[in-house]
Amino acid sequence: MRHSIRTIAARAWALLHRDRLDREFDEELTTHLELLIDEGRRGGLSGEEARRQALRKLGQPNSIRERHREQRGSRVLDVLTQDASYAVRMLRKSPGFTAIATLSLALGIGANTALFSLIDSLLLRSLPVRDPDRLVQLRYGAGPAGFKKFSPFFSQAQFDYFTDHNQVFSEIVGFSSLDRPLVTIDGATEPDPRVDQVSRNYFRDLGVTPIAGRAPEVADDAVAILSYRFWQDRFGGRPEVLGRTVTIDRQPFVIIGVAPRRFFGVALESDAAIWIATRAPMAQQVIARIKPDVSPTQAQAGAQVMLNQLAEEQGESADRVGQAELVPAGKGLSQLRSQYERPLLALTALVVVLLLITCTNIGNLFMVRHAARKRELAVRVALGAHRSRLVLQYLVESVILAAIGGTLGWLFARWGVAILLSMLPLPFVPSALIFNGDWRVVVFAVATSLLSALLFGLMPAWRAGEINLGMLRSSEGGGVPRAKRLSGVLIACQVGLSVLLLVGAGLFVQTLRNLSDVDFGFNPDGLLQISMDTRASGYRQGQVGGVYNQLLTRLSGIPGVRSVTAVRNPLMRGMMSRSRYEIPGVELAADEAWDAAQVGSSFFDTMGIPLVSGRTFTDADAERSQFPVVISESFAKRYFPGKTPIGVQLGRRQPGSEIIGVVRDARLSGVRVPSGVFMYNLLEKEPDRINALEVRFSGDPAAIVPAIRDEIRQVHPRLLLAVTTMRRHIDDSIAKERMVAATSTFFSVLGLLLASIGVFGVASYAVTQRTNELGIRLALGASRGSVILESLRGTLVMFIVGLAGGIVAAVAAVRMTSALISDLLFGLRATDAANVVAAVALLILVTVLACVLPARRATRIDPLAAIRCE
Amino acid sequence: MHSKLDILQGTLDLMVLRTLATLGALHGYGIARRIEHVSGDHVILNQGTIYTSLVRLEQRGWIRSKWGVSENNRRARFYNITKAGDKQLVAETENWERLAAVMGRVLADEGRTR
Repeated sequence: MRHSIRTIAARAWALLHRDRLDREFDEELTTHLELLIDEGRRGGLSGEEARRQALRKLGQPNSIRERHREQRGSRVLDVLTQDASYAVRMLRKSPGFTAIATLSLALGIGANTALFSLIDSLLLRSLPVRDPDRLVQLRYGAGPAGFKKFSPFFSQAQFDYFTDHNQVFSEIVGFSSLDRPLVTIDGATEPDPRVDQVSRNYFRDLGVTPIAGRAPEVADDAVAILSYRFWQDRFGGRPEVLGRTVTIDRQPFVIIGVAPRRFFGVALESDAAIWIATRAPMAQQVIARIKPDVSPTQAQAGAQVMLNQLAEEQGESADRVGQAELVPAGKGLSQLRSQYERPLLALTALVVVLLLITCTNIGNLFMVRHAARKRELAVRVALGAHRSRLVLQYLVESVILAAIGGTLGWLFARWGVAILLSMLPLPFVPSALIFNGDWRVVVFAVATSLLSALLFGLMPAWRAGEINLGMLRSSEGGGVPRAKRLSGVLIACQVGLSVLLLVGAGLFVQTLRNLSDVDFGFNPDGLLQISMDTRASGYRQGQVGGVYNQLLTRLSGIPGVRSVTAVRNPLMRGMMSRSRYEIPGVELAADEAWDAAQVGSSFFDTMGIPLVSGRTFTDADAERSQFPVVISESFAKRYFPGKTPIGVQLGRRQPGSEIIGVVRDARLSGVRVPSGVFMYNLLEKEPDRINALEVRFSGDPAAIVPAIRDEIRQVHPRLLLAVTTMRRHIDDSIAKERMVAATSTFFSVLGLLLASIGVFGVASYAVTQRTNELGIRLALGASRGSVILESLRGTLVMFIVGLAGGIVAAVAAVRMTSALISDLLFGLRATDAANVVAAVALLILVTVLACVLPARRATRIDPLAAIRCE
Repeated sequence: MHSKLDILQGTLDLMVLRTLATLGALHGYGIARRIEHVSGDHVILNQGTIYTSLVRLEQRGWIRSKWGVSENNRRARFYNITKAGDKQLVAETENWERLAAVMGRVLADEGRTR
């Protein structure tokens, strides 16, 4: 082993110094020759004779030189160059094959690389900060057990309290994204800047060192740090930017630093262009670093203690005390991560299958070509080529293919990531997720390319090793049956993998269709949802009602706004509260409860939810401090079958909650959450908080939304979180499914195309190979139909084998991964039989099409010509 | 000419090592002369083949070379055996003797039974 390493090293060195070594050896050889001539002269020979004798004794200088070079190792290079140029010639000779092979490889490698890049930046990569592994996000959950909602937002007072009283964290930082800040630089307004306000210790304590300027200090006020990208885009990367002023929401900030290139903030999707640090209080998300000697459990306990003390100090009631929760934050916070982890993994599985199909396909095309080249190869063996040379030849050819495919694939990966990112429900594309092509991605792409090359290169290479002289004798070539069998196996594999791909894609496409067809039970068009946070803005119970009335008056005055109502929790976000009342005459199970919403009085009008019986809320209901209840149709059917629920008193409270109306079922929690037993309570006159307003409007939302923002900002500058049309909400909430469906459709169509090319190639080859045999049969009176069947039988058998294998594999795969993919599906089960049947039918159809041309060729064989040909 | 022994690769390597161990630093010509001389001209040497052997041995670290001046005042490369080469020589010599003995017995045996 040591010897071989030494030899390889020596050879590599020799390769690099080829010319010098050649010169030196020539000198050595000349000396040798001269010495031999001297010897001859001493023996009494004439000069001419001595030289002749000497040359005879030494041997042909040229062949010595050649062998010396070979031993030194430079022949390896010669051979490789030779093989490479031969391979390039071969590839250029069959442009169709080369085009299909490189293009499909590029797509396969590109798709895999694109997904790796996304998975890497979303799931694998750590933030470029100090000790990312010990970073956690602090959240608190409030509400009765089982119905807890966790929130990441803390007020400035809470943040300050944590900073002063914590025992378990070494550092605590806070940040908050400004909503559409007005940013001006040199009097010019920036088009779409994203600004994060951060605590003044943010950069220092995270361990992010600016690449220019300095990090903010705790003593600083009104300072700004630019992101690398913004610095480059807006200021051309000029260092003089330090010390200049940006104005944000009419307040000046001094630029003191530029963040490192790969730091995008703690939240991957916030993607700030500017970070500002001021003394102004803010509602913020909190990131903390656990002390080195503190375990996660201890940290959790410590955080809980902190929350309890704070609640006690502020005199909050016991049930208001939140439950502390620590979420690992070392990879950055991301709303996308939890949602897209599974879709990305599912898509990865699909693209791996696609790449396998691609490799099998190329391997197969290689095999077909190999069969055609067998005589040529046999001639080369006869002329003394070593078999390993033939194998090497194929490997070189496949590595060249893979290199071209990989390079193209790199471009496809770049596009692929951009396309996938554009499908995300985000207002902009986060820098953290953009295809960055760093070394991890490069290594992945190169490894994938080489692995593919090995996969499809080894098949023909293996066959090339079997070439023998016997193949020269027979015109058919000796190894045909086995080559055909291997080719058939490859076809079966391709068909099987295609079934897998189609079944997967079918599930996702059907899911998207089911989701798009959902009947919401309300009218989602012409509806805006405003999400806001009264609590984080500092409003307490007793103040919220007043704010709501202000908002109602202001918003109703905007032209185009037809009605406005409040909801305690935003709709379509899976954030309904749970509720349970005693129902007279009904025995409820111990854990029986239903979804409920606390809504303003004009909720049903605004939403467009039709009334079935009774009445809905009126403003007067709130004044009378009663607790009227509206229920859904399903509620009525479930608990009052055959009876009228109107007027029934629920619960033990007096005055009780009276059912005043029944409305149609509506899907308010999310597209995927079925409408069902649902209860509406009238929002209290003084609610503890309001997190959403619903606005029914007519006309162009683009005209109304800015007016709404303005009005809300005048009430409180930080109250508003977002204004979104309900359609957009719905589209965003199924963006994941749309992405998976679109991508998997694309891949499976590609896979199907490749498989059909494979079938076509093999079927054509089968017909060509047997032209004269089929000709003889036709001449002997066989019917054309039987000839077709005969010529394609092998292909069809393998197709059926592949189909059967594919079905089994698909069902098995779907079963095994059903836990993983079930929440990616909607309205059908992973093992949906119709889906499998559809996939199989599609494959059969495509295969028949792929066989039509070769079959027609078989029937057109002219018996005489075919026989004469031999 | 054809009555002389054709030399196997490994055998030539062994002869070169032995020669260098016995005589110290030598150039290619010197090694070839010595082998011819010792073998009593029984070994044909297409003297050029020696260089393949020399490269191989040097790649394995059994010999070293450096430039010097030959007896006819030309630049020549002189080869020297290394410590590893010495060890290898001992091992290979044993190997060779064992093989020669076995070959001898086998060949003799065939003569007797027929």
